[in-house]
Amino acid sequence: MGRRKKIVQECERLMDTPENIRNIAIAAHVDHGKTTLSDNLLAGAGMISEGTAGEQLAMDTKEDEQERGITIDAANVSMTHEYEDTNHLINLIDTPGHVDFGGDVTRAMRAVDGALVVVDAVEGAMPQTETVLRQALREGVKPTLFINKVDRLISELQEGEEEMQERLLGVISDVNELIRGMIEEMDDIDDDWTVSVEEGTVGFGSALYKWGVSMPSMQRTGISFQDIIDLERNDKRDELHERSPLSDVVLDMVCEHFPNPVDAQPRRVPRIWRGDAESELAEDMRLVNEDGEVVFMVTDISMDPHAGEIATGRVFSGTLEKGQDLYVSGTAGQNRIQSVGLFMGSEREEVDRVPAGNIASVTGLRDAIAGSTVSSVEMTPFESIEHISEPVITKSVEAQTMDDLPKLIETLQQVAKEDPTIQIEINEDTGEHLISGQGELHLEVITQRIEKDQGIPVNTGEPIVVYREQPQEESREVEGVSPNRHNKFYISIHPMDQEIVEAIQRGEVSMDMPELERREALQEAGMDKDTSQNVETIHGTNILIDDTKGIQHLNETMELVVEGLSEALDDGPLAAEPVQGTLLRLHDARLHEDTIHRGPAQVIPAVREAVHHALIDGEIRLLEPIQNVRIDVPSEHMGAASGEIQGRRGRVDDMYQEGGLMVVEGVAPVGEMIGFSSDIRSATEGRASWNTENAGFRVMADNLQREKIMEIRERKGMKLELPESIDYL
Amino acid sequence: MLTFIGLGLYDERSITVEGREALAGADRAFAEFYTSRLVGTTVEALESFHDIGIDVRDRAGVERDPAPILDAAEDEDVAFLTAGDTMISTTHVDLRLRAHERGIETRVIHGVSAQSAAAGLTGLQNYRFGKATTLPFPGAHGGGDVPDSVIETIEANRERDLHTLVYLDIKVDDPTADAAGLGEDERYMTGDYAAGLLAEHWADELGVVVARAGSPEPVVAADRLSELADREFGGPLHLLVVPAAPHHLEAEALEELAGAPTALLDEN
Repeated sequence: MGRRKKIVQECERLMDTPENIRNIAIAAHVDHGKTTLSDNLLAGAGMISEGTAGEQLAMDTKEDEQERGITIDAANVSMTHEYEDTNHLINLIDTPGHVDFGGDVTRAMRAVDGALVVVDAVEGAMPQTETVLRQALREGVKPTLFINKVDRLISELQEGEEEMQERLLGVISDVNELIRGMIEEMDDIDDDWTVSVEEGTVGFGSALYKWGVSMPSMQRTGISFQDIIDLERNDKRDELHERSPLSDVVLDMVCEHFPNPVDAQPRRVPRIWRGDAESELAEDMRLVNEDGEVVFMVTDISMDPHAGEIATGRVFSGTLEKGQDLYVSGTAGQNRIQSVGLFMGSEREEVDRVPAGNIASVTGLRDAIAGSTVSSVEMTPFESIEHISEPVITKSVEAQTMDDLPKLIETLQQVAKEDPTIQIEINEDTGEHLISGQGELHLEVITQRIEKDQGIPVNTGEPIVVYREQPQEESREVEGVSPNRHNKFYISIHPMDQEIVEAIQRGEVSMDMPELERREALQEAGMDKDTSQNVETIHGTNILIDDTKGIQHLNETMELVVEGLSEALDDGPLAAEPVQGTLLRLHDARLHEDTIHRGPAQVIPAVREAVHHALIDGEIRLLEPIQNVRIDVPSEHMGAASGEIQGRRGRVDDMYQEGGLMVVEGVAPVGEMIGFSSDIRSATEGRASWNTENAGFRVMADNLQREKIMEIRERKGMKLELPESIDYL
Repeated sequence: MLTFIGLGLYDERSITVEGREALAGADRAFAEFYTSRLVGTTVEALESFHDIGIDVRDRAGVERDPAPILDAAEDEDVAFLTAGDTMISTTHVDLRLRAHERGIETRVIHGVSAQSAAAGLTGLQNYRFGKATTLPFPGAHGGGDVPDSVIETIEANRERDLHTLVYLDIKVDDPTADAAGLGEDERYMTGDYAAGLLAEHWADELGVVVARAGSPEPVVAADRLSELADREFGGPLHLLVVPAAPHHLEAEALEELAGAPTALLDEN
């Protein structure tokens, strides 16, 4: 029997004992060594050969990942580890660290109970360290810390024992400060979730050279810091690896300090599921009841050339088996499970069943998307998985040959299903489709996949920045008249409170949830009671309130009102960019007696006109996406680096020294950041390392508004004049 | 001067003599055919019959951008043409009001409307018609298969012992296409289709389909709505009447002129 087969059998045996299961994610800032660390763990568990760990990047399964040397999707693997004479099943998800792929991280956190946060010893906690920590804690996932690349402190920076310890403690205290700040806002976590060397929730080592230590492991093996420094300096890294292998240290830490599903689910379920806490279903999930109703949360959809579409996620209750007919949230009818399996690196192993508490990958759920709740009874779906960043960059994609058109559309739809942070706009008329994503790299990777994986040659356009429009003040009540003048709508708008906008973005408020819960959530976010009772629809981060009373035929016409409203908000009055953060009130309506005279051709333009006039009366302005930028650079290039931010309409907020390098932190518009990577390279002779993080949208300065609006209008082929009523720009 | 002229129901000869003379005396003619059509003729045939060029406007060209029509009417005699009567089922009072706002003189020359044909062909008394309604194609109006307001209108009429004239939706996505040649994108709801939709609410009730009113060979058929749903009535345009319990002379007319089954009339 092959080794792999043996592991699969052992995994199957362990699946039924939730106490011995750990579902974990490895997350970090880009390039801090997550994937190399994952490979160490796989090698330790016998999944790949010892010699290749560190260079094999088994978790980076796609060709483009191995080429780029970064992880793009979250990948899954199950392995076993013996700790204190008990064998444990460890389901591991490796997550990408590049900010462009943040959606994958958030989704992975839903499936796991513990997050191993990896931080580079030299660079310390970085912006995305903070992001992944926040993503973990928000999902109720417990963190531990692994400080990687300690070898570099010894051999490159030539640090002695004291310096090294000081630096490591610095990293730990930075990370703890982040954790403390975030935990403060969460009332359901009473335990201290900060990490500490003494407790054993911190490990150090080198994923590249496959050694690692923690306080408990040092006590057990008798290895000291001085031993480590000596062995490292004398190039006896193999000996270091043999005496204190990284995988044992980390996997011991995982088994000891991460909660098992039985401990984790009672805390996590209320955090991610808003259904009836008294129900049997809630009880099944809290108890990880493998005989209960099936509840499966899909966190990832991937394509397998043989098996087809694979849905991976966490089984919170019941047992997944082939042939089950399950409900998929948000769709009608049921899907039948075709096969059930576990992921073993790039390959999937079919098994007979996967019980509660595990991470499973199944086929047959054709209606599921990343984020779906799949269950054997109809139920309140899980909270939407939060995507912290909205798409900020768009690119057009066009098939080079007409024959590829249907296949391209299918692929684009597939891409959107796999990665909900991607937005697709199919235009069958022009054949020029739009994909929107988190950044230049994100879109580049998607287009490469279309070309390489699917073999569809495509032409792509220049990246285009996504703008927003938002009113700045409350408008008067504005009238919209239908073209035949038989119908009138009276609408006013005002900018929505930021708290409500955020509640919508976090998925705490949506039209999918029961009305009563939605009302409560809105009131919690600060909306008054009457308003919250009249919510008619939510479109993007905009809400329509129906303040009318007893208007005949309005209910029949409301669908068209909503359609007109959606059109008006999708294409704002300034530059046809999406409108955000607006509360709209429908005060009154006059309708024609006969449906045909209040049909789409009448109602949609009337409402669109009313909404646009109201937005203009509310002094709508153009917003641009901005990014936080951090540049690490030797001090002699600091001026050039900060110049690169300032020269892009950016603002430098802070400059300070850290680990022998200068750090420049600031903010700049995404539109100006296109091409930044080559500019900063030449400005600093390639000595700068840098990171960006999307930081939402910001109103553009008034003196730039008109110019930018015209630029967008020209690109879109719109009229190059604004309505006369826009006299404030 | 802006003269609204109803062209009547079927072809270039359905216009009144007065309308024909007014059109002959006009400097320019505009028309719209998105609310209804003359299925027995074409725009070209109309132009040559009346010896005048006709500028066909689409919905936007009438409702949103009526300026060219009104500009012309300021200093010329302009005719605005529609099928039927310009002010009955098609509601162009808006255009007339806009003309008045600009101080343009207007007049209306009536045409035969589907509304009078419905009474005329079925023998149902014009005095007994209640509120009229239009049955839209499912999904076209933002409601269910049959909008509540349609059901409510018919119900309310029936309660008051009144007939209901049900206009049937037409979908014209390319309004500048030939006025009579049925373009690919055009859909006209047929009487059988409409009867099918209404039969879900009143399967056993009496209905009357009127097809091609105003043509040399109109079809008038009375039966249970569920029966009408299974029949075919030929080319457009169709309309449907949901009668109240017929008066004795109305019953006789429905039997003689519309082939209503005697047994059904006895039930009512």
